[in-house]
Amino acid sequence: MDTASALAQLHDFTQRIVPLQPQEWEAFSSIWSPMEASRKTLLTKAGDTERYLYFVVEGIQRIYYSKPDGKEATLVFSYAPSFAGVIDSLLLQQPSRYYMETLTQSRFLRAHVQQWQQLVATHSGIAALSHKALLLAMSGIMERMTELQCFTAEEKFRRLLQRSPHVLQLIPHKYLANYLSIDASTFSKLLGTVRI
Amino acid sequence: MNNSRWLQPLQQQTETMLSQAIAQWQVLPHAVFAQAPQANSWSANECLQHLNSYGDYYLPAIEKAMQQHSTPSTHPFKAGWLGGWFTRMMQTNPTGQPAKKMKAPKQHVPVALPPSHEVIARFIDQQEQLLQLLQQAETSNLSRIKVPISIAPMIKLQLGDVLAFLVAHNHRHVQQAHRALQAASALQG
Repeated sequence: MDTASALAQLHDFTQRIVPLQPQEWEAFSSIWSPMEASRKTLLTKAGDTERYLYFVVEGIQRIYYSKPDGKEATLVFSYAPSFAGVIDSLLLQQPSRYYMETLTQSRFLRAHVQQWQQLVATHSGIAALSHKALLLAMSGIMERMTELQCFTAEEKFRRLLQRSPHVLQLIPHKYLANYLSIDASTFSKLLGTVRI
Repeated sequence: MNNSRWLQPLQQQTETMLSQAIAQWQVLPHAVFAQAPQANSWSANECLQHLNSYGDYYLPAIEKAMQQHSTPSTHPFKAGWLGGWFTRMMQTNPTGQPAKKMKAPKQHVPVALPPSHEVIARFIDQQEQLLQLLQQAETSNLSRIKVPISIAPMIKLQLGDVLAFLVAHNHRHVQQAHRALQAASALQG
């Protein structure tokens, strides 16, 4: 895999969040290694403690909770270019409550949490970047909680299509319906009636 | 690895069929997906139901057989005479038409027309499972592990043969579904 172009993608991505000074970028870019996974590979299991921060170069993944009775909750999808990983387990170094799996063939860069946190402690630019990226993730989660609690099925469906129209043809609809917390037949009905 | 040469084409074909179902089929309306191209021939919906009925039998059967501890053989896998024959019967010629027309066994003939989104979702689920099994099979013994076949459970075939048969059979009817959809969109014009 072409690590140089993956790193270029990471560089573009971070520049738009908090630009790093050249020597900070040099330090930051040195902690990432390439990694590939085929479709439906479990990257993190519930009970494991997450050790890696991922940067998605290609493909789609999801993080989900699995109740003992088999019910699932899809918390988040990730796709390129973005950071991914079970962030609470990673930063608190506690066993993950969630699973992370690939939904398509995927390519990543990944960095070990210790190396990342070491750079956060020694480089103020990398600390600012990490902080801002976490805030953006948190803002996304709060927005989603709002939608889950007070939007109708149709409103949630429309929001999804406005934000990420491409996912309809990339992700099996059962995962999308689960993410929106609506049932599969409602999802199918909305697909047939809602025009954006 | 020895098994890869046998399994990789099966993984690729399954990946292709799965991508097609996700990118094209699941956004199609039921009216198109359930439209028979002509009387007495299956709609795409029925083609997938037929495949799902095989998956319902074979995926758990393969999974169960693979739980048995085994290590890959040191020799590349070779098709058995019966398994190879079954797989060849399923194969299509370069235009995608079946080399030999056949009648589906009774227990694998669809009798109703459930909503297409349900049929497609089950097909996608099954192909995801099959991909995972094809991955696990890389560390299994493809000839020593045996799987009973659906139409005659007293006949057992090598795991490698069953996997090849299942993928060839999927491929055959996915192409048939594709032709049905072309005819359906022409009819809906």
